Amino acid sequence: MKRWLPIFLSILVLAASFAVRAETDAEVRARKDALDVAGAFSNDGFKIRDGHWCGVVKPHEHALVAVNLYAGNQYWFSAASAEPAKIAVSVYDESGKQVTTESYNNGEKAAAGFSPANSGLYFVSVDLVEGDGGSFCLVYSYK
Amino acid sequence: MIRLAKLGVLALAAVVFVATGATDTGRLPADQLAKAVRSDSISIPTPGELFAALGKSEKTNWSGQYRGPMPVTYRNRAQIALNLGGLIADGFIAVQAKDSQQVKNIGSDIIKLAKALGVSEHLLSRGKSINEFADNNEWDTLQEELEATQNEVKSSMQSHADQDLVILVTLGGWIRGTQVVTAAIMQNYDERSAKVLRQPALVRFMQSKINEVSPELRQEPLVKDVSEQLNGIEKAVSFPAAKTPAVDDVRKVNEAVTKVMTEIESKELPK
Repeated sequence: MKRWLPIFLSILVLAASFAVRAETDAEVRARKDALDVAGAFSNDGFKIRDGHWCGVVKPHEHALVAVNLYAGNQYWFSAASAEPAKIAVSVYDESGKQVTTESYNNGEKAAAGFSPANSGLYFVSVDLVEGDGGSFCLVYSYK
Repeated sequence: MIRLAKLGVLALAAVVFVATGATDTGRLPADQLAKAVRSDSISIPTPGELFAALGKSEKTNWSGQYRGPMPVTYRNRAQIALNLGGLIADGFIAVQAKDSQQVKNIGSDIIKLAKALGVSEHLLSRGKSINEFADNNEWDTLQEELEATQNEVKSSMQSHADQDLVILVTLGGWIRGTQVVTAAIMQNYDERSAKVLRQPALVRFMQSKINEVSPELRQEPLVKDVSEQLNGIEKAVSFPAAKTPAVDDVRKVNEAVTKVMTEIESKELPK
């Protein structure tokens, strides 16, 4: 029995390491493009948060992520698609109501910026406007 | 130089951004909101974001929020993780105070605690960078470096099959950050700053992540105690959207997080 223990442990460790999802090449590409968009806001004093969200955007589906924001800060959410497509970024408050944002749309790249009046939960949506969909990545910046 | 040129090009691109003036008539149904992705790396703000919101007020006395030297010889892994998060928040405070010596002291303590968890191998070079940036007063870069350090600690924990400790690092940072922010607001109350305290969904999310850790870790006295107190903290930060927390509300949040922080720092673990 003792002989099998190290093997079981190795399998467990291996399984745990696979549980941490690796990023695909397409997601890495999309992240680079999203960071390029966010980089433009750095000149205005926005700091890019060291964190990102990658996923798949499909026709007629919202790719939604929950974020917790602070009143007093300004935010830009920047996204890029790895495949040729037209995407858009929108922001919703905790009740699901869309908030008015400044927007940037340039085919595979898009961004939405706003200053929350209240701190709390918001939802950022990445939507496919044209194209078949594919991998995307979202980053955000604040000041 | 190339980096500057690239930034210049991107700045030009920013100028041609098209303001489409998104409609504000859209609404997402509750079932879609419930399915939204929630992740530690993007749904939980960093201490730097919290301090940035407060830092708009010039009156914040950041150096007045320092705490005395803390032990770096804890034996309990959960307690080390919680304190590591708190220490990283202290690093952000020192950056806000633009205090290079304090940043270096905290950077060195972060490495010591990370070593105790066995996740320090990649962090040694981060420690060197932190010292270098502190010497050169590169505050923005230092803030980025601290965020990167926090993320490196967490990803190192994941690769060491210590995923359960990741949420404790995040939680420790949030508790220490909230303690500092509430103390600063109490010293110099203004309504705009007090608005940062409304974060019920954030506390609920951290609580849900703690409920996902292994039963053994969840039953550890300190983790159990912190988790129980989070329920009270969630109530204390659940203000209606239109309400600005009054001084008394801020004091209540401060008392609640200070109580938890004292237990996290204590060498005497709860029984």
